[in-house]
Amino acid sequence: MNDGDMGVIVRTMARATIPLIGIFGAYVVMHGHLTPGGGFQGGTTIAGAGILFLIAFGLGEMKKRYNKNLYSALEGLGGLVFLGAAMLGIGVAFFYNTLWHNGPFFNGKPGTLLSAGYLPIMNLAVGLKVFTGLVSALTAIALWRRWKE
Amino acid sequence: MNGEIILPYLIIVPLFGAFSMPIVSLAGRKAREAWAVLVSGITFIVGSAIFYAVYENGPILYTLGAKNPFGQGAGFPIRIVWEVDLLSALMVLMVTFVAFLAVLYSIGYMRHDTGLDKYYTLVIILELGMLGIAITGDLFNFYVFLEIMSIASYALVAFRNDTWEGIEAGIKYMFVGSVASSFVLLGIALLYGQYGTLTMGYLAIKLAQNPTVVAKVALAFFIAGLLFKSGASPVHMWLADAHPAAPSSISAMLSGLVIKIGGVYALARILFSIYGASVSMKTVGWIIIIFACITLIIGNAMAVIQEDMKRLLAYSSVGQIGYILLGLGIGLAGYGTKAGEIAIAGAVYHTFNHALMKALLFLIAGAVIHELGTRNLNELSGLAKTMPKTTFAFLIGAAAIIGMPPLNGFASKWLIYESSATFNQVLATIAIIGTAFCTAAYVRVLYTFFGRPSEKVMKAKDPEASMLWPVVILALAIIIMGLFPWQISDKIMIPVARTLENQLGYVATLMGGA
Repeated sequence: MNDGDMGVIVRTMARATIPLIGIFGAYVVMHGHLTPGGGFQGGTTIAGAGILFLIAFGLGEMKKRYNKNLYSALEGLGGLVFLGAAMLGIGVAFFYNTLWHNGPFFNGKPGTLLSAGYLPIMNLAVGLKVFTGLVSALTAIALWRRWKE
Repeated sequence: MNGEIILPYLIIVPLFGAFSMPIVSLAGRKAREAWAVLVSGITFIVGSAIFYAVYENGPILYTLGAKNPFGQGAGFPIRIVWEVDLLSALMVLMVTFVAFLAVLYSIGYMRHDTGLDKYYTLVIILELGMLGIAITGDLFNFYVFLEIMSIASYALVAFRNDTWEGIEAGIKYMFVGSVASSFVLLGIALLYGQYGTLTMGYLAIKLAQNPTVVAKVALAFFIAGLLFKSGASPVHMWLADAHPAAPSSISAMLSGLVIKIGGVYALARILFSIYGASVSMKTVGWIIIIFACITLIIGNAMAVIQEDMKRLLAYSSVGQIGYILLGLGIGLAGYGTKAGEIAIAGAVYHTFNHALMKALLFLIAGAVIHELGTRNLNELSGLAKTMPKTTFAFLIGAAAIIGMPPLNGFASKWLIYESSATFNQVLATIAIIGTAFCTAAYVRVLYTFFGRPSEKVMKAKDPEASMLWPVVILALAIIIMGLFPWQISDKIMIPVARTLENQLGYVATLMGGA
């Protein structure tokens, strides 16, 4: 036991559930245009896996795995991808869904995975942004100075 | 120039700048500062181009996602629209100009702080939120941009989180501001439940066809929430803490821009463009006038007794918001009369002028704090000896805010005095009393600055170039605008007042294609 990690049962269970939570979150993000959920819901679910890691394995382990620059760059990247998708149809209007109207991809039959134009891209971008943002915020709070100086 | 093509870049450029800031700042400090200046500079160019396009060709309607706001076979707007009339365009110009200078100023001013990648991201996001409020024609879009602006300003007020006052002011501002925002959201929810639309122009039609009690309740929530945001008097207490505690470049933006875009502009837009035909203008006007008079007296009177330089400026902002609200209120209560039109022109003119003057004064306060490390006026005597350029710029700003004739504050205040004297003598008297207090406050500061130099002041000197230039540019803008007061008033401010009063025009711009 060091630096606030939990007992062996919790850690073993976390090892088993973190991948499951991550996969389920990725599923929610990817099927945002077909089923309830989407970028934000899926992103928070994946961030839940990150928080489970932080709590079960403790801050020391998290410090080794977490890179501040990487996460904040990825958060920016998520926003940029969203903005880029919104600008694809700028010739007609901002947020014009040109992928859906003209292709070349993401214009399949409605109800299939590769449909809905820029929506899957935006869901992925929002999911990435929400996941990295929440994990960064909670890690920063966990790393905050101790209760007394 | 085609305004429709460049309008989205007003949002795209700051959004791109803010999202790429974490990646750019990996390249180091210089890259980050250059990026922030570049992004806000381009935004300023886009903002001026839009102002020019709207001034030349009339209002712009922009639909997100399609060529026009109507769906197939639907006779009503279904998409988010941006509607930029002359008032919005003037606000866009004001925001992009002052924000650019504040970013430029931050290079020198924020040199000793850490976490600057977040600082510049937040400043650009703050600018983005204000631009969105100015251009939007959709009520929920307005709320989202209002929250973007508010949350960015909570974070920036508490940016220096190693000082106790930064945290205290940030918490106070956040609690008060969140309550105010939730009022606005509640009003929007009520209107949506009743009328089933969120487009401002179309909502105006539905409201005029079927005015209900729900609409009046929603209006009460809007007025309450937006008076909070503008720092009107019974609820101005957050402002007097938030502005002194924030970094000075941020105080300049908060005081010059945020309280006007998020408060006064939004109030004017909602009252005139949405509710114009469906409520009694006279009643609403008098409600605003009452708050304006309280704000005028309390803000200016409290400014006289301050010893903290930035707190004095913050209370003075409250007082000046009183003038702007007075103009707005008289414009509502005297709707359709000559006095009403002049009052709105004066209010808009004063909004623009006060953004320049108060930005200038806060930037100077920042320079003084940067050099001397104190905001206490008692310790700043004789500053004119060692910081002559800064003191001279302060003299210009103070004279302009009082309303001395060769400077820009004179014309705008004159319009407000003139209209209030025609409308109601008592209001004119209150306005004059407010100015008397305001004069007392600034003369007190100037008396200190030109006094005998104290020991502390002797080792000060004028700030470096990146901090001095924004101050010089603002002072020049004040002087140049002061040279052509009536031309500006006739060419820009009176047409702005007419567009704001012309609700049918606002609706017709939206529904033009249907």
